[in-house]
Amino acid sequence: MNTLRTLAVASALCTVAPGIAWSTDWELSADMRLVDSDGQPSLFDGGLGALRYDSEHEGVQVGRLRAALTQPLGDVWAVKLDASYFGQDDAHPVGLTEAYLEYRPYPVNGWRTRVRIGAFFPPVSLEDTASGWTSPYTLSNSALNSWIGEEVRTIGAEGQLEWLGTRLGHDFDLGVNGAIFGWNEPAGTVVATGGFSLNDFQTTLPNGYVGGHSSAVFPEQTIFHELDGHAGFYVGAQARYLDRVTLIALHYDNRANPAAEDIALNEAWHTQFNSAGVRVDTAAGWTAIIQWLSGTTSNGPPDDFYPWPFHARFALISRQWGRQTLSARYDVFGIESTDEDSFGAEEGHAWTVAYMFNQGPHWRFALEWLHVASEVADRATLLDEPTFAGENQTQLSVRYTIGSGL
Amino acid sequence: MPRISAGIFRLLLLCSAVPAVAGTISVQAMLANHEPFAGAVVTVSAAATHAPVAPVSAIVDQINLAFVPDIIVVPVGSTVEFPNSDSVSHQIYSFSPTKRFQLPLYHGKPYPPVHFDQAGVVTLGCNIHDRMVGYIVVTDATYFGRTDARGIWSATNVPRGTYHVSLWHPLLRDTGASLDRDVSVTGDESKNITVQLAQALRPAPLQATARSRDQY
Repeated sequence: MNTLRTLAVASALCTVAPGIAWSTDWELSADMRLVDSDGQPSLFDGGLGALRYDSEHEGVQVGRLRAALTQPLGDVWAVKLDASYFGQDDAHPVGLTEAYLEYRPYPVNGWRTRVRIGAFFPPVSLEDTASGWTSPYTLSNSALNSWIGEEVRTIGAEGQLEWLGTRLGHDFDLGVNGAIFGWNEPAGTVVATGGFSLNDFQTTLPNGYVGGHSSAVFPEQTIFHELDGHAGFYVGAQARYLDRVTLIALHYDNRANPAAEDIALNEAWHTQFNSAGVRVDTAAGWTAIIQWLSGTTSNGPPDDFYPWPFHARFALISRQWGRQTLSARYDVFGIESTDEDSFGAEEGHAWTVAYMFNQGPHWRFALEWLHVASEVADRATLLDEPTFAGENQTQLSVRYTIGSGL
Repeated sequence: MPRISAGIFRLLLLCSAVPAVAGTISVQAMLANHEPFAGAVVTVSAAATHAPVAPVSAIVDQINLAFVPDIIVVPVGSTVEFPNSDSVSHQIYSFSPTKRFQLPLYHGKPYPPVHFDQAGVVTLGCNIHDRMVGYIVVTDATYFGRTDARGIWSATNVPRGTYHVSLWHPLLRDTGASLDRDVSVTGDESKNITVQLAQALRPAPLQATARSRDQY
């Protein structure tokens, strides 16, 4: 009898099995650029320019080659891998921008939990909501989120708890999250050494770096190291009014020992910041985003700290109609320096205007103009050049995507 | 004798085809700005005991990351199938007390229909695509439907009796008695009811985009 029951259950499962979708979802994309730039040598070549492409990297460039997959493991677990090659410099390797195990149990009585274990972006950006942590509004990220992409990654575990009020007849959803992480002690190097930049680069794991080979100004710096055995943490909160207004806030502290370094002379930077943002979406296709971030990063022996307070904020307005999106953004960013030579000090602002045309699920065309003006003390002390630079970059992007879900 | 029997049979048939004295209940729903309220769910329940409405088999599809239709009304005891016509997988759930269920990750039509045996509103969601939301109104009402573009819905051939008329929509901010009416049908007449909302509806959900990470 038991055998019969087992057979009956097994046959029932077999009839159900064909449509149960535990198959791999995947996506491949190639984003090529045609670039015009009068920028100074960029962070990726060890310079102090604030653009992704400098005047030595014009013409046809690789924007990003990307392969991503999601492999469900049963019903509520999934592995997500996102690998990219950003071109930029032949020395920048193919690597993983994100790689994590996700646990998504079903909501219970309006409460939902999410757990991520692995390497992923902390919940800072209100811009980068499209696949591959990219922006649906512009090609280049704001200075704020460019910095996150360059050197901040959670390598650890994150938990999120949400109350789905809108599913219970209320107007709000609320959520809190927190994470503990390691292997990100060098975070702070880029902002203190190279300053802010506006780009869509994402430093890849495990060996991706920012900076340039044999650069005296900004030598290459790998980002993902554990140097002191201290776990960092962040805690954050989100609130949504229907699907129209989104508020997020985050406090981040990598709790690094600023005196720590390894035998390869990778240095720890104690970096902490607070960030907050609001996004408003309307039925007429308008989106407005304001994001703010303020923090400090410190490095050096205990009796000779160099703290660098830094801040970045932006306002973006975007209008989508049909397959077209037109966006404009204004960025402000700055780094103070307590060093007597003002090492690392910077003030800047930028204007970005972008037009995007999504022809369908496969083709996307984009045109972006970006102007950044910055006053950087190190241009005088390290390069014997004027501290002020105005840089302009125009990009035409053609991206082709294929995937199981398109 | 056979001829007489046939005559009586025809007479009986005629009698049964002519309804007892019956009326019409017509409901017009108006938004706060006095525009018609299309798509509102109207239920009309008889005060007296009545035979239950026969259950139906309904379908709520998933197309372009949306439930289609986004709202259905079915009698208690009905079944609903949830095929997934998208190329991406969905993971459908309800935590509504009326009916809690989960359909693990799937596409196509791998699962048998879900049985709804209790009256109430069931809110549908997808555990992968957070913006997807749909509603199944499971009702034990005698008559039910949704208002048309003019904001009107009517029940015809309503027998004499007292009825409770109720209006519902997921975007309603109005609550309580203003959405309910009691009406008596006493003869061959048309009872017209107007429900005028005092408050504007909640904004309708924005259309989900396939490229969205559904985060924040």
